[in-house]
Amino acid sequence: MRKVLIVDDSVSMRQMVSFTLREGGFEVIEAEHGEDALKKIEGVSIDLIITDLNMPVMDGITLIQNIRRLPAMKTKPILMLTTEGLATKKEQGKAAGATGWIVKPFDPEKLLSTVAKVLP
Amino acid sequence: MSDQISTCLEDAFQLPNAAATADTRDAASSHKSGHAPALPRLDRARNQLKATSKQIEGAVVSVCDSFQTILERVRGTTDRTKSLLAGEECGSSGKQSFEELVDICSNTLTSVLAAIEEANAVSVRTVERIRGMEDASQKISAALAKMEQIAQENRLLAMNARIESAHAGKLGAGFAVVAVEVASQSDKTMTLTSEVNDLVGSLRSLANSTKQDMERMHEKDQQRLVSSRKEVDESLGMLRATHEEMKEALADITDESALLATDIGKAVRSLQFQDRVNQQIDHVISDVNAVHALLSGNGKDFDVIDAGGHNLTMHEEREVAGIADRESPEGEIELF
Repeated sequence: MRKVLIVDDSVSMRQMVSFTLREGGFEVIEAEHGEDALKKIEGVSIDLIITDLNMPVMDGITLIQNIRRLPAMKTKPILMLTTEGLATKKEQGKAAGATGWIVKPFDPEKLLSTVAKVLP
Repeated sequence: MSDQISTCLEDAFQLPNAAATADTRDAASSHKSGHAPALPRLDRARNQLKATSKQIEGAVVSVCDSFQTILERVRGTTDRTKSLLAGEECGSSGKQSFEELVDICSNTLTSVLAAIEEANAVSVRTVERIRGMEDASQKISAALAKMEQIAQENRLLAMNARIESAHAGKLGAGFAVVAVEVASQSDKTMTLTSEVNDLVGSLRSLANSTKQDMERMHEKDQQRLVSSRKEVDESLGMLRATHEEMKEALADITDESALLATDIGKAVRSLQFQDRVNQQIDHVISDVNAVHALLSGNGKDFDVIDAGGHNLTMHEEREVAGIADRESPEGEIELF
């Protein structure tokens, strides 16, 4: 079963994304912020990361930059899931190495079809 | 609660603006002690906001848990029913599916009816054989009648022989002895013939009563067979029809559970309001904290309270602040 890491400081958002992905047949790991996410991917094979942008301790952009430095994660898809829709922020995300940008609120069916598109 | 917050914030923001001169700033600082009563209200407002945010989050998490449980229950029930009807679970447990049970019932009942039919056929053959036996016994009776007649004629012959031997005097003495013996044999034959006739009569009577019993039984069995076959056919028809209805109902349930999943998906989208509300409340708390710091004389200027909206992270907030530069991007997906 494919494994997805969800990073968001909101409990309810993590729950809703997890619920959607599990319905789609994925195994889900949750993290509260960027630093928590980096700990949780140690020694674990992750197929996809979905992360929020604005989080305490370590935000989403910094997380993506750190993840792309890991050899095993250089080409893995990373989707940003955030309330932020400014073009400048999207450019920052793209420059950091994000694969895609989804503005909340997400539609469960569209999220699953996007995940299907980015996974090899 | 929202009125209290509004009043607090209105009181807190009655301060010199960003372009104030040093004089007005001095005048403002002399008013700081006058704003001290507003600080506890700001604290209260901040705490209320945090508590409200937590409550909303708790409610949303609880609703999502319920959705999860509902979907799991519906799916579990549908899958179990489907596999029982189709027999998918049956291989490992050794049990038959509903469809297989219906087939087994049908085969068993058909075998039972076939056995009854065969028994009926046997009774018909038995009746035929008994009729054959009756015919044979009649032939035996006829043969016995002939034997009796022959014995009678022999008797008469013997009588005549005795008469003739009497006429022959001494020369006919030996002949008389033979004639007496012939008469005696004829008598024995007639006695035996009579006994055999009686036996044949008893046999015929037994066969006749047996034949009548068999015929009665056959007639009843035939009627029962016809009505049983009709009942079996009707019952199996109803069983199969019920099975088809169950399959249709299951298909409907499966469709409904798919629709339910879609509806829950829509609800999930709607419930994400909580995340946006949470962020907006955090930003309001951030502004309240800045005002609090300013009022309590912690050295922050009013300018520091971000009038430029740089702490705003959502289109809705920028719309309220009047700095939105595009339409709402809610739900947008872009792959780089």
